[in-house]
Amino acid sequence: MRDRLRTVLREPLVHFLIAGAVIFAVFSNLPPDAGERRIVLNEGALTRLVERYVETYHRAPSPQELQGLIADTVKDQVYYREAQRLGLDRDDEIVIRRMRGKMQALATSEAETKQASDVDLQAMLDRDPAHYATDVVTSFDQVWLGPDSPATRAAAAGAVERLNAGAAPASVGQMVALPLHFDRASTSDVSAQLGDEFAAALRDPPQGRWTGPIGSGLGLHVVRVVSRTVPAKPTLATVRQRVENDWRAGMIARAEDAAYAKMLAGYQVEIARPK
Amino acid sequence: MKTTRFLFAGAALCAVSLVLAGCNLLPGRSVAPKDDSKVPLTDVPERVFWGDTHLHTSNSVDAFGFGNRLPPEAALRFARGDEVTSSTGLKAQLDRPLDFLVISDHSTGLGSTQALYDAPRLLIRDPRLLRWHDLFHGSTKDSLQATAEILAAKGRGESFGAMNDPKSSEKRTRSIWNASADMVERYYEPGKFTAFHGFEYTLMQGGNNLHRNVIFRDAIDKIKTVLPLDDSGHTTPEALWDFMEGYEKATGGHVLSIPHNGNLSNGLMWQLVEPGGGPMSASYARRRASHEPIVEITQIKGDSEAHPFLSPNDEFAGYGTLGWDQNNLLNNQPTKPGDYAGSYVREALKRGLAIEQRTGVNPYKYGVIGSTDAHTSLSTADENNFFGKHPGVEPSAHRASDSFIPGLDKVRMNWQSLASGYAAVWARANTRGAIFDAMMRKEVYATTGPRMTVRFFGGWDFNAGDLKGDWVHAGYKRGVPMGGTLAAKPDAKPSFIVSALKDPKGANLDRVQIIKGWIDKAGATHEKVFDVVWSDMDKRKAASGKVPAVGDTVDLANARYTNTIGAPSLSAVWTDPEFDPKLRAFYYVRVMEIPTPMWPAFDAVKYHIKLPADVKAKGQERAYTSSIWYAPAG
Repeated sequence: MRDRLRTVLREPLVHFLIAGAVIFAVFSNLPPDAGERRIVLNEGALTRLVERYVETYHRAPSPQELQGLIADTVKDQVYYREAQRLGLDRDDEIVIRRMRGKMQALATSEAETKQASDVDLQAMLDRDPAHYATDVVTSFDQVWLGPDSPATRAAAAGAVERLNAGAAPASVGQMVALPLHFDRASTSDVSAQLGDEFAAALRDPPQGRWTGPIGSGLGLHVVRVVSRTVPAKPTLATVRQRVENDWRAGMIARAEDAAYAKMLAGYQVEIARPK
Repeated sequence: MKTTRFLFAGAALCAVSLVLAGCNLLPGRSVAPKDDSKVPLTDVPERVFWGDTHLHTSNSVDAFGFGNRLPPEAALRFARGDEVTSSTGLKAQLDRPLDFLVISDHSTGLGSTQALYDAPRLLIRDPRLLRWHDLFHGSTKDSLQATAEILAAKGRGESFGAMNDPKSSEKRTRSIWNASADMVERYYEPGKFTAFHGFEYTLMQGGNNLHRNVIFRDAIDKIKTVLPLDDSGHTTPEALWDFMEGYEKATGGHVLSIPHNGNLSNGLMWQLVEPGGGPMSASYARRRASHEPIVEITQIKGDSEAHPFLSPNDEFAGYGTLGWDQNNLLNNQPTKPGDYAGSYVREALKRGLAIEQRTGVNPYKYGVIGSTDAHTSLSTADENNFFGKHPGVEPSAHRASDSFIPGLDKVRMNWQSLASGYAAVWARANTRGAIFDAMMRKEVYATTGPRMTVRFFGGWDFNAGDLKGDWVHAGYKRGVPMGGTLAAKPDAKPSFIVSALKDPKGANLDRVQIIKGWIDKAGATHEKVFDVVWSDMDKRKAASGKVPAVGDTVDLANARYTNTIGAPSLSAVWTDPEFDPKLRAFYYVRVMEIPTPMWPAFDAVKYHIKLPADVKAKGQERAYTSSIWYAPAG
C-alpha cells in the first residue's frame, strides 16, 4: 500500500489547491485566499521554475525563455481560474474522476501508515480462525471406477465389498493416470488434482476401510482413508504475515468506506426516477 | 489532519524537485526475507503446481497507459484466490487459485507512465511528454493512443528523457522496485503460495520481439541489491546475460531468463546465426543455454508452438496463430514466410539439434511453459473468466468485435487473443527454490489454460506392464522425466511412459500425441507427429496414418459442451518405431482436449450479442510438455 501513499505524495500541488486556493501560496508559503484575484509569482516560485528547467535541459533558461515560462504559468492560472469561475470543472468527467481518486487516496493515506499491534492481529485471527487454519492432511488409497454413470454407481457397492475382502486395488478399478495411494496430501493438493467435490467428500469416511463411491471431476472413486490429521488451531506466530496482509488491506478499505459514509451523510441525495 | 498537512508540504517539495524522477517520503520499513528452509521436499515431484510467470501491473509503462490501476498487491491477492475489483470496475476472482506468480513489470520506464500522469502539467516542458500527459488525462481512447505512441517510439529506440532514461529515472525505478519487492515478499507463503521476484527485459530490434522474463530464486535481501536491467539501447541479449552473471556472482543467488513471443520476432528469436551474423559458436550457444532453460510457448498474444507453413502435415498446428503471424510485435514490419522458422518453438528445437551437430552444444534445448502476459494485474486463462490482454479489452459487450488495441490496431482483432496460458511445474514443494529448480531442469509444461495433469518419462525398458504398478516411481528410477536427456544405449530402443489426466473441472481428452524432431546425417531436420493414445480407440481406427476427429459437442448458443466424447484419462507406453540410434532427436507430448467454446462464445451468451462471422468461437485446448532428448554416442 506504500504504492498508493506514494501516489498521494506525488500528486501535483496544482491539484491540491483546486479545492479553492491560490496556487502560488504554496510556492510562497503564504496561506491561500480563495476569493483573491491576484496571481503572485514570488522569488521562491521563480527559483523553482528555473530549477525545474535546469533539471530538464541541464542549463539555465535565457532571460527570454524565463519570460516565456512565466507568461505560460500565468496563462495557465488565468485560464484555470476563469474555467472554475464558469464552472467548467463541474461537468467534466475527467476532473470528477481525478478528484474522487485524490479524495479516496487522502482518506486511506493514514490507514496505510498504521502498524498492526499484536492485539489487533490476534483479534483478527480469533474472528475467523478457520480462514487461517492450515489444511487437513489425509493419506488415502483410491480406485477409479470410471466416468459417472448409473452402471458405475451400481457397481460401486460390489467394488467396496471386494476391496474390503482383500482384493488388490489394481484388480478392481480402471487404469487412470492417478496414484493409487496419496501420502499426506493436503486438502488443497487433493482439490487441485481431483476437484473440490472429492476433497470435501474425503473429510467424512471412516479410517481403515474402503467406502464409496465418491465423485470427482474425473468420475467415481472408492477410497480408503489411512490417516487424517486435523491441524492444530493456528497461532499468530505461524500465520502472522497472512493476518497482517489482510489486516492492512481491510483497514484501508474500511477507512475509505468510513470517510465516504461521513461525507455522504452531509448530503441529501435525490434521485428522480421516470415513472 | 497533521498527517495530511505533512503530506501536502511533502508533496509540494516532491513535485517540484523530482517530478518524473519519483519520490518516496516514507521511511523504508523493510520486509524481512522469508525463510522457506523448513518446507519439506517430497522425494520426487508428487503434484504439479500452477502459475503465471508473466504478469504486468500498473507499474508497467504500457499497462498503466492502457488503463491499469491495480498495483502489485492486487495482482498477488487475485492470484492466490481473493476477489479484487478490476481497473474497469468489474468484480474479478479466479475459479481456482494459482500456486505461484511472477510479477514481471517492464524494467524500462518502470512506473514512468504513472509518474507522467501524476506530474503537475506546468512542470512538463518536453512537448512530447506534455502531449502524452494530456492524452492520459483524456478519454480511454486518448490514453490508448498515447500508449501506442510510446510503444512505437520505444520500438524506434528513442529516449524520452526522465520517462525512460535509466540514469535520470534511477531514483524512481529504485523506489518502485523496492516497494514492489516488499509486497512480493509479504505475500510469499512458503509451502502454500509462491511469489517470485522478477521483471521483464523488453528487448526489441526495430519492433521485433526479443523479450525475456527474468525470474529470481532469491529473497528480498538479494533483490534489493540490484535494479531491474533497462534494455534501452540494447539490441541483443548479451547485456542481460552479463547482468545475470554479475548478480549471481555478487550475491550467490540464482536467476533465469524466459524468452517469449517468438511468434512476433520476425524470425530473430531463434536464429541459426549469432545476432551479429556468422554461424553460432559453441561458447555463445553454451552461454545462452545456461541462462535460458525454458521458453514461453503460449500466451494471450498467440501461440508459438508450430505454424502451418512449417508443419503442413500437422492438422493441429496453427492454434492461435491467426492475426499474430502477419507482422512483428509493433506492427511496423510484415512477417515474411522465411521468418517463420526463427519464430516458432518446434522449429527452434530442431535448429538446436542442427547447431549441436555442428558445434557440440545445443543453444535451444528448451523446456516450455505457458503464461498470460496479461496487463490487467489479473492472471486469467479460463475461457469463461477471461479478463483480456489489457484493461481496454476487459469484459464488455463490444470487445469481441474490437481491434486488439481498440480503435488503433489495424491488423489484429481482439478476438484473436487467446485466453492462454499457464505454467505447470513438477516441483518437490511449493517454494521459490523448488519451483525454480524444476524450471532449471525443465520438468515443466505449458497449457493453453486448462489444468491437465501430464507425466512423461523416457527410458530403455518401459513396457505396458509398468502402467499397472507404481509407474511414477518407476519412471524416475528407470528413466528421465520431461526435460531430461537419454544417453545412447547399445541395442535398445527408447520407450516412453506418457499419461494425461483431464482438468478435474474441464473437458475430456481427445488424444495424446508425441512429436518427434530429428536431424539426419546430411544435416537436414525433420519432424513427425505420432498419435499415441486416444479416446474410443476401438471405434476411432486410424486411416492412412491419421486418427479421425473426436467429434464436437459444442453448443454455441449456450456456450456449453458435454463430456460425452473423449476420455478423462489417457495413458500409454510408446516405443519409437522409427528409432535410429545414430541420429539426434527430441520427443515431446501434446495433449489435445475435445472441442470447447472459446471466450468470445461465453461473451456472446453473457452480453446477448451476435458475434461477427469470422470470429473463432470454439477450439481444442492443449498441453505441450518439455522434450526428452536423445543423444547418440560419441
